[in-house]
Amino acid sequence: MKKNKMRLIAATVMAAMVISMTGCGSTGEAEQPAEGDSAEGKTYAVGVMQLVEHPALDAATQGFQDKLTELLGDSVTFDVQNAQGESTNSTTIATKFVSDDVDLIMANATGAVQAAAAATADIPIVGTSVTDFHTAGVVDSNETPGRNVTGVSDLTPIDEQIKLLQQVYPEAKKVAIVYCSAEPNSIFQSELAQEALTEAGIEFKEYTAADSNEIQAVITNAIGECDAVFIPTDNTMASNMEIVKNVTVPAGIPVFVGEEGMCKTGGLATLSISFYDLGQKAGEMAYDILVNGADPAATPIGFVSDNIVPKYNPEIAEALGITMPEGFEPIQ
Amino acid sequence: MNVTALMKAVPGSVAQGLIWGLLAIGVYITYKVLDYADLTVDGSLCTGGAVAVMLMLSGYNPYVALICAGIAGMLAGLVTGIFHVAFGIPAILSGILTQLGLYSVNMRIMGKSNQAISVDKYNLILSLRDVPKAILVSGIFCAVMITILYWFFGTELGRSIRATGNNENMSRAQGINTKTTKVIGLMISNGMVGVAGALYAQYQGNADVNMGRGAIVIGLAAVIIGGVLFGKIFRNFAMRLVGVIFGAILYFVVIAIVLQLGLETTDLKLVSALIVAAFLAVPYIKGQHRINGKKGGKANA
Repeated sequence: MKKNKMRLIAATVMAAMVISMTGCGSTGEAEQPAEGDSAEGKTYAVGVMQLVEHPALDAATQGFQDKLTELLGDSVTFDVQNAQGESTNSTTIATKFVSDDVDLIMANATGAVQAAAAATADIPIVGTSVTDFHTAGVVDSNETPGRNVTGVSDLTPIDEQIKLLQQVYPEAKKVAIVYCSAEPNSIFQSELAQEALTEAGIEFKEYTAADSNEIQAVITNAIGECDAVFIPTDNTMASNMEIVKNVTVPAGIPVFVGEEGMCKTGGLATLSISFYDLGQKAGEMAYDILVNGADPAATPIGFVSDNIVPKYNPEIAEALGITMPEGFEPIQ
Repeated sequence: MNVTALMKAVPGSVAQGLIWGLLAIGVYITYKVLDYADLTVDGSLCTGGAVAVMLMLSGYNPYVALICAGIAGMLAGLVTGIFHVAFGIPAILSGILTQLGLYSVNMRIMGKSNQAISVDKYNLILSLRDVPKAILVSGIFCAVMITILYWFFGTELGRSIRATGNNENMSRAQGINTKTTKVIGLMISNGMVGVAGALYAQYQGNADVNMGRGAIVIGLAAVIIGGVLFGKIFRNFAMRLVGVIFGAILYFVVIAIVLQLGLETTDLKLVSALIVAAFLAVPYIKGQHRINGKKGGKANA
């Protein structure tokens, strides 16, 4: 009796899986909107996929949503998903957006853009918080993406960041460049930083952590050999600035970081692009694609080069006993 | 919950489940057959992916890349085996040590932490872009692998591996070199994981140094779910492996359901843990009930 029952259950489960395969047929045919649709009365479904949670990425998502809501009002719905740092989740989320046939995908951070780009060649993808789209392998070139991916880069002019370091802490002899070795964006920024430091005639050394568990040891080692620290926009470091602060401030070492969120938690000063502005610019791009029919393949990658403000963290400046030069905005 | 949306999301889960099913088979070989808790898979998955991607970027045929990825995985298994058998390092620790070291090895292979391989530019065997084809290809791979393994574990060497896992002391008494069988078992298992890594890297379009993180958990979940659901029905070894693959598919379907239900992805891990715990608890509780319940009890003891 029990054996037959089990066989029945097994057969049902297998039948269910076979039936679900028939769903395969329908994913092939995307439901295209009718040719004569006007912009009014059409609701746009936008899928937002964020790689991991930390203040900068959260700000970019918020800026994106705010901008699109401002421009489209009620005609836009968002499906916001967070992969919690796992590539399997990114893949699952990207597949979900494709099967839901969203009108546009906003991918926040490199891993998310890569997953989205692999999942679809048709649905327009707007990426943000990616330092170099070309190295990520998702576009043919930054000027002409050549496919359905475009977006806004979070690259700050690294040479300006190094000039800021010299301005605030001219007595720096050796700079430690600290980042997570698993992030391609950070390697890219580190190379630019090394060029700038060589030009400025300052010694430097790279220190990398494989993941968040190693950060404390790596930072302690770094400050033992260097007298200033530079951290580019790195997702792992950004999520762990408390650790950096607790090691560097008691030792009296100034930390220069890539963006404002990191500075607010644990850095001394930064040449900040606002990730919120980044998200807003991505929102404008998305509006252009959705409503005006702009082609992502011909839309060059945007850079947020205007609106860069030198900012500093007043508490850390006080703790280190450093007086900031003119023109620096305190972060509240 | 939108059932149509869920039905449309299932094929993606099935594709992922079939690819991770290959990894789950590797975990099954070490965990169930060899009775060895092997944590190397977190590293060897990425090694397989890294080797395959770098070879394909250099212009090699994807099938050649796949074979090399399998060999790379086998080498990783060999290292773990040597740690355990030659140096006497306990089973779990040897896997952890290899996995730790593989991080640096993988970084060296790829040159950086993330290497993209676009389906638009390279001739990939399967890709996230075309899910039905991915299901077909990975399904064929699973079928071929299961057939090969079924044949292998029927040979004398295969049976001695099974014997080692069943009762190591008795096997040694019977003249089986348990050290060799353990190493070979680990090599086969990690070879499979290497191939799974190569397929997965092509599926998601990049090889990332962190792609194997948490892989052992997914593998074990698949093995346990498959074992509990289909253990009573499938007695045949080949069908047990099929059961493991169903377990992997089920795991990813559950994740898709969680996403469709609108639950936070943050809750995903808790859901997975609870599901695996439930699957482990059910047979245990049933077993307890049989001892103390109506059918048995002290009267009939």
